[in-house]
Amino acid sequence: MLTTLACAAIENALNLLLDKEPNLKLALDQVKHQTLAVEIRDWHTTYALTFTGRQFMLFNNYQERAECKISAHLETLPELKDPSVMTQLIRQDKLDLEGDLHLAQAYSGAFAKLDIDWAEHLSAFIGDAPAQLIFEKGQQTKACLSRSATTFSDTFTQLMQDELKVAIHPLELQQFKQHTRAIKQHAAQLEQRIEQLLNL
Amino acid sequence: MKESQHNTTDFGYKTVDREAKASMVADVFHSVAAKYDIMNDLMSFGIHRLWKRQAIACAGVRKGHRVLDLAGGTGDLTAKFSQLVGDTGQVILGDINDSMLKVGRDKLRDLGLVSNIEYVQMNAEALPFPDNSVDVITIAFGLRNVTDKDAALRSMYRILKPGGRLLVLEFSKTDNEALSKLYDFYSFNILPNMGKLVANDSESYRYLAESIRMHPDQETLKGMMENAGFEQATYQNMTGGIVALHRGFKY
Repeated sequence: MLTTLACAAIENALNLLLDKEPNLKLALDQVKHQTLAVEIRDWHTTYALTFTGRQFMLFNNYQERAECKISAHLETLPELKDPSVMTQLIRQDKLDLEGDLHLAQAYSGAFAKLDIDWAEHLSAFIGDAPAQLIFEKGQQTKACLSRSATTFSDTFTQLMQDELKVAIHPLELQQFKQHTRAIKQHAAQLEQRIEQLLNL
Repeated sequence: MKESQHNTTDFGYKTVDREAKASMVADVFHSVAAKYDIMNDLMSFGIHRLWKRQAIACAGVRKGHRVLDLAGGTGDLTAKFSQLVGDTGQVILGDINDSMLKVGRDKLRDLGLVSNIEYVQMNAEALPFPDNSVDVITIAFGLRNVTDKDAALRSMYRILKPGGRLLVLEFSKTDNEALSKLYDFYSFNILPNMGKLVANDSESYRYLAESIRMHPDQETLKGMMENAGFEQATYQNMTGGIVALHRGFKY
Protein backbone atom coordinates (compact mmCIF):
# COMPACT_ATOMS: atom_id res chain seq x y z
CA MET A 1 0.00 0.00 0.00
CA LEU A 2 2.92 2.34 0.69
CA THR A 3 4.21 1.79 -2.84
CA THR A 4 0.72 2.55 -4.19
CA LEU A 5 0.68 5.72 -2.10
CA ALA A 6 4.10 6.73 -3.44
CA CYS A 7 2.88 6.07 -6.99
CA ALA A 8 -0.18 8.23 -6.40
CA ALA A 9 2.06 11.04 -5.13
CA ILE A 10 4.38 10.76 -8.16
CA GLU A 11 1.36 10.69 -10.49
CA ASN A 12 0.06 13.87 -8.89
CA ALA A 13 3.47 15.51 -9.27
CA LEU A 14 3.63 14.49 -12.95
CA ASN A 15 0.14 15.88 -13.57
CA LEU A 16 1.12 19.12 -11.86
CA LEU A 17 4.12 19.26 -14.16
CA LEU A 18 1.83 18.67 -17.12
CA ASP A 19 -0.30 21.66 -16.11
CA LYS A 20 2.76 23.88 -15.79
CA GLU A 21 4.52 22.71 -18.95
CA PRO A 22 2.13 22.60 -21.94
CA ASN A 23 5.05 21.56 -24.17
CA LEU A 24 5.16 18.21 -22.39
CA LYS A 25 1.57 17.54 -23.47
CA LEU A 26 2.46 18.37 -27.07
CA ALA A 27 5.59 16.22 -27.00
CA LEU A 28 3.65 13.21 -25.77
CA ASP A 29 0.58 13.67 -27.94
CA GLN A 30 1.86 11.10 -30.46
CA VAL A 31 2.11 8.40 -27.79
CA LYS A 32 -1.10 9.00 -25.87
CA HIS A 33 -2.95 5.91 -24.67
CA GLN A 34 0.22 3.87 -25.05
CA THR A 35 1.70 2.32 -21.95
CA LEU A 36 5.36 2.37 -21.04
CA ALA A 37 6.20 -0.28 -18.46
CA VAL A 38 9.43 0.05 -16.51
CA GLU A 39 10.73 -2.94 -14.60
CA ILE A 40 13.18 -1.97 -11.88
CA ARG A 41 15.36 -5.04 -11.47
CA ASP A 42 16.60 -4.09 -7.99
CA TRP A 43 13.05 -4.07 -6.63
CA HIS A 44 11.59 -6.86 -8.82
CA THR A 45 8.60 -4.71 -9.63
CA THR A 46 7.12 -3.09 -12.72
CA TYR A 47 5.65 0.38 -12.99
CA ALA A 48 3.46 1.51 -15.87
CA LEU A 49 3.07 5.03 -17.16
CA THR A 50 0.26 5.98 -19.51
CA PHE A 51 -0.45 9.43 -20.90
CA THR A 52 -4.16 9.70 -21.67
CA GLY A 53 -4.00 13.03 -23.47
CA ARG A 54 -5.23 14.81 -20.35
CA GLN A 55 -3.30 13.23 -17.52
CA PHE A 56 -0.61 10.77 -16.60
CA MET A 57 -1.56 7.54 -14.92
CA LEU A 58 1.10 5.66 -13.02
CA PHE A 59 0.54 2.20 -11.63
CA ASN A 60 2.78 -0.07 -9.58
CA ASN A 61 2.99 -3.85 -9.66
CA TYR A 62 1.77 -3.79 -13.26
CA GLN A 63 1.23 -7.17 -14.92
CA GLU A 64 -0.68 -6.20 -18.04
CA ARG A 65 0.49 -5.85 -21.64
CA ALA A 66 2.39 -2.66 -22.45
CA GLU A 67 3.36 -1.20 -25.82
CA CYS A 68 6.92 -0.89 -24.57
CA LYS A 69 8.58 -2.53 -21.61
CA ILE A 70 12.04 -1.64 -20.39
CA SER A 71 13.94 -3.43 -17.71
CA ALA A 72 16.94 -1.89 -15.99
CA HIS A 73 18.68 -1.39 -12.67
CA LEU A 74 17.89 1.74 -10.74
CA GLU A 75 21.35 3.21 -11.43
CA THR A 76 20.76 2.94 -15.19
CA LEU A 77 17.48 4.87 -15.21
CA PRO A 78 18.98 8.39 -15.04
CA GLU A 79 20.98 7.59 -18.19
CA LEU A 80 17.69 7.14 -20.08
CA LYS A 81 17.27 10.92 -20.06
CA ASP A 82 19.35 10.85 -23.24
CA PRO A 83 17.37 8.89 -25.89
CA SER A 84 20.51 8.38 -28.00
CA VAL A 85 22.21 6.18 -25.37
CA MET A 86 19.42 3.59 -25.31
CA THR A 87 20.82 1.34 -28.02
CA GLN A 88 24.24 1.57 -26.38
CA LEU A 89 22.76 0.52 -23.01
CA ILE A 90 20.98 -2.40 -24.67
CA ARG A 91 24.28 -3.55 -26.23
CA GLN A 92 25.93 -3.33 -22.80
CA ASP A 93 23.14 -5.51 -21.32
CA LYS A 94 22.26 -2.70 -18.94
CA LEU A 95 18.83 -2.35 -20.51
CA ASP A 96 16.27 -4.81 -21.88
CA LEU A 97 13.62 -3.45 -24.17
CA GLU A 98 10.54 -5.21 -25.53
CA GLY A 99 8.11 -3.51 -27.86
CA ASP A 100 8.19 -0.10 -29.46
CA LEU A 101 11.56 1.61 -28.96
CA HIS A 102 10.07 4.89 -30.21
CA LEU A 103 7.68 5.02 -27.26
CA ALA A 104 10.55 4.86 -24.78
CA GLN A 105 12.46 7.44 -26.79
CA ALA A 106 9.41 9.72 -26.94
CA TYR A 107 9.03 9.68 -23.14
CA SER A 108 12.76 10.04 -22.65
CA GLY A 109 12.98 12.93 -25.11
CA ALA A 110 9.91 14.72 -23.71
CA PHE A 111 11.25 14.69 -20.16
CA ALA A 112 14.81 15.53 -21.24
CA LYS A 113 13.60 18.63 -23.07
CA LEU A 114 11.79 19.96 -20.02
CA ASP A 115 13.05 23.38 -19.09
CA ILE A 116 11.01 24.34 -16.09
CA ASP A 117 11.10 27.96 -15.02
CA TRP A 118 10.64 27.30 -11.30
CA ALA A 119 11.02 30.99 -10.41
CA GLU A 120 8.15 31.88 -12.74
CA HIS A 121 5.86 29.26 -11.19
CA LEU A 122 6.86 30.23 -7.66
CA SER A 123 6.25 33.93 -8.38
CA ALA A 124 2.52 33.22 -8.74
CA PHE A 125 2.41 32.44 -5.01
CA ILE A 126 4.97 34.77 -3.41
CA GLY A 127 5.65 37.50 -5.95
CA ASP A 128 8.43 38.13 -8.47
CA ALA A 129 11.23 39.48 -6.27
CA PRO A 130 11.06 36.87 -3.48
CA ALA A 131 10.72 34.07 -6.05
CA GLN A 132 13.80 35.29 -7.96
CA LEU A 133 15.73 35.68 -4.69
CA ILE A 134 14.83 32.18 -3.51
CA PHE A 135 15.66 30.75 -6.91
CA GLU A 136 19.09 32.48 -7.00
CA LYS A 137 19.87 31.37 -3.45
CA GLY A 138 18.83 27.86 -4.40
CA GLN A 139 21.15 27.91 -7.41
CA GLN A 140 24.01 29.23 -5.27
CA THR A 141 23.40 26.57 -2.62
CA LYS A 142 23.30 23.89 -5.30
CA ALA A 143 26.57 25.12 -6.81
CA CYS A 144 28.16 25.35 -3.34
CA LEU A 145 27.02 21.81 -2.44
CA SER A 146 28.30 20.54 -5.76
CA ARG A 147 31.72 22.19 -5.16
CA SER A 148 31.85 20.80 -1.61
CA ALA A 149 30.99 17.32 -2.87
CA THR A 150 33.77 17.52 -5.49
CA THR A 151 36.28 18.81 -2.90
CA PHE A 152 35.30 16.08 -0.45
CA SER A 153 35.59 13.43 -3.13
CA ASP A 154 39.03 14.72 -4.22
CA THR A 155 40.31 14.94 -0.63
CA PHE A 156 39.01 11.49 0.18
CA THR A 157 40.65 10.03 -2.93
CA GLN A 158 43.96 11.73 -2.06
CA LEU A 159 43.80 10.45 1.51
CA MET A 160 43.11 6.95 0.32
CA GLN A 161 46.02 7.12 -2.14
CA ASP A 162 48.34 8.37 0.63
CA GLU A 163 47.13 5.63 2.90
CA LEU A 164 47.79 3.10 0.17
CA LYS A 165 51.47 4.09 0.09
CA VAL A 166 51.97 3.38 3.80
CA ALA A 167 49.58 0.48 4.09
CA ILE A 168 51.25 -2.92 4.04
CA HIS A 169 50.59 -5.45 1.34
CA PRO A 170 48.67 -8.63 2.31
CA LEU A 171 51.81 -10.68 1.52
CA GLU A 172 53.84 -8.54 3.93
CA LEU A 173 51.18 -9.11 6.57
CA GLN A 174 51.36 -12.81 5.95
CA GLN A 175 55.17 -12.74 6.28
CA PHE A 176 54.89 -10.70 9.48
CA LYS A 177 52.49 -13.26 10.93
CA GLN A 178 54.85 -16.08 10.06
CA HIS A 179 57.79 -14.26 11.74
CA THR A 180 55.68 -13.60 14.82
CA ARG A 181 54.71 -17.26 15.02
CA ALA A 182 58.36 -18.33 14.67
CA ILE A 183 59.50 -15.91 17.43
CA LYS A 184 56.71 -17.19 19.69
CA GLN A 185 57.82 -20.74 19.06
CA HIS A 186 61.49 -19.86 19.83
CA ALA A 187 60.44 -18.08 23.01
CA ALA A 188 58.51 -21.15 24.13
CA GLN A 189 61.49 -23.39 23.38
CA LEU A 190 63.80 -21.02 25.28
CA GLU A 191 61.43 -20.97 28.26
CA GLN A 192 61.35 -24.74 28.30
CA ARG A 193 65.16 -24.93 28.14
CA ILE A 194 65.57 -22.42 31.02
CA GLU A 195 63.16 -24.47 33.13
CA GLN A 196 65.17 -27.61 32.40
CA LEU A 197 68.44 -25.86 33.39
CA LEU A 198 66.93 -24.57 36.62
CA ASN A 199 65.69 -28.04 37.53
CA LEU A 200 69.14 -29.59 37.16
CA MET B 1 -40.18 -23.57 5.86
CA LYS B 2 -37.90 -24.17 2.91
CA GLU B 3 -39.89 -21.72 0.82
CA SER B 4 -39.70 -19.17 3.61
CA GLN B 5 -35.87 -19.46 3.71
CA HIS B 6 -35.77 -19.15 -0.05
CA ASN B 7 -37.79 -15.93 0.04
CA THR B 8 -35.68 -14.15 2.61
CA THR B 9 -32.24 -12.64 2.56
CA ASP B 10 -29.95 -10.69 4.83
CA PHE B 11 -30.02 -6.96 5.24
CA GLY B 12 -27.10 -6.40 7.54
CA TYR B 13 -27.83 -8.64 10.52
CA LYS B 14 -31.59 -8.55 9.83
CA THR B 15 -33.46 -11.08 7.73
CA VAL B 16 -35.84 -9.47 5.29
CA ASP B 17 -37.97 -10.45 2.26
CA ARG B 18 -35.93 -10.77 -0.91
CA GLU B 19 -38.17 -8.27 -2.68
CA ALA B 20 -37.73 -5.76 0.11
CA LYS B 21 -33.91 -5.75 0.20
CA ALA B 22 -33.38 -3.76 -3.00
CA SER B 23 -35.59 -0.91 -1.84
CA MET B 24 -34.06 -0.98 1.66
CA VAL B 25 -30.55 -0.76 0.17
CA ALA B 26 -31.83 1.99 -2.11
CA ASP B 27 -33.07 3.92 0.94
CA VAL B 28 -29.62 3.64 2.53
CA PHE B 29 -27.91 5.05 -0.54
CA HIS B 30 -30.53 7.76 -1.15
CA SER B 31 -29.73 8.85 2.37
CA VAL B 32 -25.95 8.87 2.05
CA ALA B 33 -25.51 9.90 -1.61
CA ALA B 34 -24.84 13.59 -0.99
CA LYS B 35 -22.12 12.92 1.60
CA TYR B 36 -20.87 9.65 0.07
CA ASP B 37 -17.45 10.86 -1.07
CA ILE B 38 -16.58 12.79 2.06
CA MET B 39 -17.73 9.89 4.24
CA ASN B 40 -15.62 7.44 2.20
CA ASP B 41 -12.55 9.58 2.79
CA LEU B 42 -13.31 9.98 6.49
CA MET B 43 -14.20 6.36 7.14
CA SER B 44 -11.25 4.85 5.33
CA PHE B 45 -8.79 7.69 6.06
CA GLY B 46 -8.51 8.08 2.29
CA ILE B 47 -7.25 4.51 1.82
CA HIS B 48 -10.23 3.68 -0.42
CA ARG B 49 -8.47 5.70 -3.13
CA LEU B 50 -5.48 3.33 -2.97
CA TRP B 51 -7.72 0.25 -3.08
CA LYS B 52 -9.42 1.67 -6.17
CA ARG B 53 -6.07 2.50 -7.80
CA GLN B 54 -5.06 -1.14 -7.39
CA ALA B 55 -8.34 -2.23 -9.00
CA ILE B 56 -7.74 0.10 -11.96
CA ALA B 57 -4.17 -1.20 -12.36
CA CYS B 58 -5.48 -4.79 -12.48
CA ALA B 59 -8.37 -3.99 -14.85
CA GLY B 60 -6.15 -3.88 -17.94
CA VAL B 61 -8.40 -1.24 -19.51
CA ARG B 62 -7.10 0.04 -22.84
CA LYS B 63 -8.06 2.46 -25.56
CA GLY B 64 -11.29 1.47 -27.30
CA HIS B 65 -12.54 -0.80 -24.51
CA ARG B 66 -16.15 -0.88 -23.39
CA VAL B 67 -16.13 -0.85 -19.60
CA LEU B 68 -19.01 -1.32 -17.17
CA ASP B 69 -18.44 0.28 -13.78
CA LEU B 70 -21.20 -1.48 -11.91
CA ALA B 71 -22.49 -0.03 -8.64
CA GLY B 72 -20.21 2.79 -9.74
CA GLY B 73 -21.71 5.23 -7.27
CA THR B 74 -20.06 8.58 -7.50
CA GLY B 75 -17.81 7.54 -10.36
CA ASP B 76 -14.31 7.26 -8.88
CA LEU B 77 -13.38 4.38 -11.17
CA THR B 78 -15.32 5.77 -14.13
CA ALA B 79 -13.27 8.99 -14.01
CA LYS B 80 -10.06 7.03 -14.60
CA PHE B 81 -11.54 4.51 -17.04
CA SER B 82 -13.02 7.32 -19.14
CA GLN B 83 -9.53 8.66 -19.78
CA LEU B 84 -8.00 5.24 -20.38
CA VAL B 85 -10.55 4.13 -23.01
CA GLY B 86 -10.28 7.41 -24.93
CA ASP B 87 -12.72 8.69 -27.52
CA THR B 88 -13.08 5.33 -29.22
CA GLY B 89 -14.08 3.54 -26.03
CA GLN B 90 -17.03 3.80 -23.71
CA VAL B 91 -17.59 3.64 -19.98
CA ILE B 92 -21.00 2.81 -18.58
CA LEU B 93 -21.57 3.98 -15.04
CA GLY B 94 -24.27 1.67 -13.74
CA ASP B 95 -26.01 1.86 -10.39
CA ILE B 96 -29.35 0.71 -9.07
CA ASN B 97 -29.73 3.96 -7.19
CA ASP B 98 -30.61 7.11 -9.11
CA SER B 99 -29.44 9.44 -6.33
CA MET B 100 -25.94 7.98 -6.56
CA LEU B 101 -26.02 8.19 -10.35
CA LYS B 102 -26.98 11.86 -10.21
CA VAL B 103 -24.16 12.66 -7.79
CA GLY B 104 -21.73 10.69 -9.99
CA ARG B 105 -22.91 12.40 -13.16
CA ASP B 106 -22.55 15.88 -11.64
CA LYS B 107 -19.09 15.06 -10.34
CA LEU B 108 -17.83 13.66 -13.65
CA ARG B 109 -19.29 16.56 -15.62
CA ASP B 110 -17.53 18.98 -13.28
CA LEU B 111 -14.30 17.13 -14.12
CA GLY B 112 -15.00 17.71 -17.81
CA LEU B 113 -15.56 14.01 -18.50
CA VAL B 114 -18.58 13.88 -20.77
CA SER B 115 -17.88 12.44 -24.19
CA ASN B 116 -17.57 8.72 -23.53
CA ILE B 117 -19.59 8.07 -20.38
CA GLU B 118 -23.11 6.69 -20.28
CA TYR B 119 -25.22 6.61 -17.12
CA VAL B 120 -27.58 3.70 -16.74
CA GLN B 121 -29.77 2.79 -13.79
CA MET B 122 -29.64 -0.97 -13.64
CA ASN B 123 -29.99 -4.03 -11.47
CA ALA B 124 -26.81 -6.12 -11.36
CA GLU B 125 -28.90 -9.31 -11.34
CA ALA B 126 -30.33 -8.60 -14.80
CA LEU B 127 -27.90 -6.44 -16.72
CA PRO B 128 -29.54 -4.73 -19.70
CA PHE B 129 -26.81 -5.55 -22.24
CA PRO B 130 -26.45 -8.14 -25.00
CA ASP B 131 -24.27 -11.22 -24.53
CA ASN B 132 -20.51 -10.75 -25.10
CA SER B 133 -20.69 -6.97 -25.31
CA VAL B 134 -18.39 -5.61 -22.58
CA ASP B 135 -14.59 -5.87 -22.23
CA VAL B 136 -14.19 -5.18 -18.52
CA ILE B 137 -16.64 -5.09 -15.60
CA THR B 138 -15.77 -3.67 -12.22
CA ILE B 139 -17.94 -3.67 -9.15
CA ALA B 140 -16.38 -1.80 -6.26
CA PHE B 141 -18.01 -1.98 -2.84
CA GLY B 142 -21.31 -2.93 -4.43
CA LEU B 143 -21.65 -6.71 -4.59
CA ARG B 144 -22.46 -7.09 -0.90
CA ASN B 145 -25.60 -4.98 -1.41
CA VAL B 146 -26.90 -7.19 -4.21
CA THR B 147 -29.72 -9.50 -3.13
CA ASP B 148 -28.85 -12.48 -5.35
CA LYS B 149 -25.08 -12.37 -5.78
CA ASP B 150 -24.95 -15.59 -7.80
CA ALA B 151 -27.48 -14.23 -10.31
CA ALA B 152 -25.48 -11.01 -10.55
CA LEU B 153 -22.23 -12.88 -11.22
CA ARG B 154 -23.95 -15.01 -13.89
CA SER B 155 -25.34 -11.86 -15.49
CA MET B 156 -21.89 -10.27 -15.54
CA TYR B 157 -20.41 -13.40 -17.07
CA ARG B 158 -23.08 -13.37 -19.78
CA ILE B 159 -22.35 -9.83 -20.99
CA LEU B 160 -18.55 -10.11 -20.86
CA LYS B 161 -16.78 -10.64 -24.16
CA PRO B 162 -14.54 -13.72 -24.38
CA GLY B 163 -11.18 -12.55 -23.02
CA GLY B 164 -12.96 -10.04 -20.81
CA ARG B 165 -12.53 -9.80 -17.09
CA LEU B 166 -14.49 -9.03 -13.95
CA LEU B 167 -13.00 -7.24 -10.95
CA VAL B 168 -14.77 -7.31 -7.63
CA LEU B 169 -13.42 -4.91 -5.03
CA GLU B 170 -15.16 -5.54 -1.76
CA PHE B 171 -14.75 -5.56 1.99
CA SER B 172 -13.69 -8.98 3.15
CA LYS B 173 -12.37 -10.91 6.12
CA THR B 174 -9.10 -10.29 7.88
CA ASP B 175 -7.33 -13.28 9.44
CA ASN B 176 -5.31 -11.11 11.80
CA GLU B 177 -7.02 -11.41 15.18
CA ALA B 178 -5.76 -8.11 16.60
CA LEU B 179 -6.68 -6.21 13.45
CA SER B 180 -10.06 -7.94 13.38
CA LYS B 181 -10.88 -6.79 16.94
CA LEU B 182 -9.76 -3.26 16.21
CA TYR B 183 -11.75 -3.26 12.98
CA ASP B 184 -14.90 -4.52 14.76
CA PHE B 185 -14.60 -1.85 17.42
CA TYR B 186 -14.12 0.81 14.75
CA SER B 187 -17.01 -0.48 12.59
CA PHE B 188 -19.63 -0.80 15.31
CA ASN B 189 -18.68 2.03 17.65
CA ILE B 190 -16.92 4.76 15.74
CA LEU B 191 -18.39 4.42 12.24
CA PRO B 192 -22.10 4.90 13.13
CA ASN B 193 -21.21 7.93 15.26
CA MET B 194 -19.14 9.36 12.45
CA GLY B 195 -22.14 8.84 10.13
CA LYS B 196 -24.40 10.58 12.62
CA LEU B 197 -22.07 13.55 12.90
CA VAL B 198 -21.29 14.06 9.23
CA ALA B 199 -24.29 12.68 7.35
CA ASN B 200 -26.82 12.79 10.21
CA ASP B 201 -27.50 9.11 9.59
CA SER B 202 -26.09 6.48 11.94
CA GLU B 203 -28.38 3.62 10.81
CA SER B 204 -27.03 3.57 7.25
CA TYR B 205 -23.50 3.26 8.54
CA ARG B 206 -24.53 0.55 11.00
CA TYR B 207 -25.95 -1.30 7.98
CA LEU B 208 -22.60 -0.79 6.21
CA ALA B 209 -20.73 -2.47 9.08
CA GLU B 210 -23.26 -5.31 9.32
CA SER B 211 -23.39 -5.92 5.58
CA ILE B 212 -19.59 -6.23 5.51
CA ARG B 213 -19.74 -8.96 8.16
CA MET B 214 -22.47 -10.82 6.23
CA HIS B 215 -20.55 -10.70 2.93
CA PRO B 216 -18.89 -13.96 1.82
CA ASP B 217 -15.21 -14.33 2.68
CA GLN B 218 -12.45 -14.41 0.05
CA GLU B 219 -12.53 -18.13 -0.72
CA THR B 220 -16.33 -18.29 -0.81
CA LEU B 221 -16.56 -15.41 -3.26
CA LYS B 222 -13.85 -16.97 -5.40
CA GLY B 223 -15.92 -20.18 -5.47
CA MET B 224 -19.05 -18.21 -6.40
CA MET B 225 -17.18 -16.62 -9.31
CA GLU B 226 -16.02 -20.03 -10.50
CA ASN B 227 -19.57 -21.38 -10.23
CA ALA B 228 -20.77 -18.50 -12.40
CA GLY B 229 -18.31 -19.60 -15.08
CA PHE B 230 -15.31 -17.37 -14.48
CA GLU B 231 -11.89 -18.87 -15.10
CA GLN B 232 -8.55 -18.15 -13.43
CA ALA B 233 -10.41 -16.60 -10.49
CA THR B 234 -7.91 -15.15 -8.05
CA TYR B 235 -7.93 -12.60 -5.28
CA GLN B 236 -5.49 -10.34 -3.54
CA ASN B 237 -5.94 -9.07 -0.02
CA MET B 238 -5.38 -5.43 0.78
CA THR B 239 -4.87 -3.80 4.17
CA GLY B 240 -4.63 -7.15 5.93
CA GLY B 241 -7.72 -8.59 4.21
CA ILE B 242 -10.08 -5.78 5.20
CA VAL B 243 -10.58 -5.43 1.47
CA ALA B 244 -10.04 -8.03 -1.25
CA LEU B 245 -9.79 -7.62 -5.00
CA HIS B 246 -11.16 -10.64 -6.87
CA ARG B 247 -10.46 -11.11 -10.55
CA GLY B 248 -11.89 -13.62 -12.99
CA PHE B 249 -11.80 -14.08 -16.75
CA LYS B 250 -14.23 -15.28 -19.38
CA TYR B 251 -12.67 -17.26 -22.20
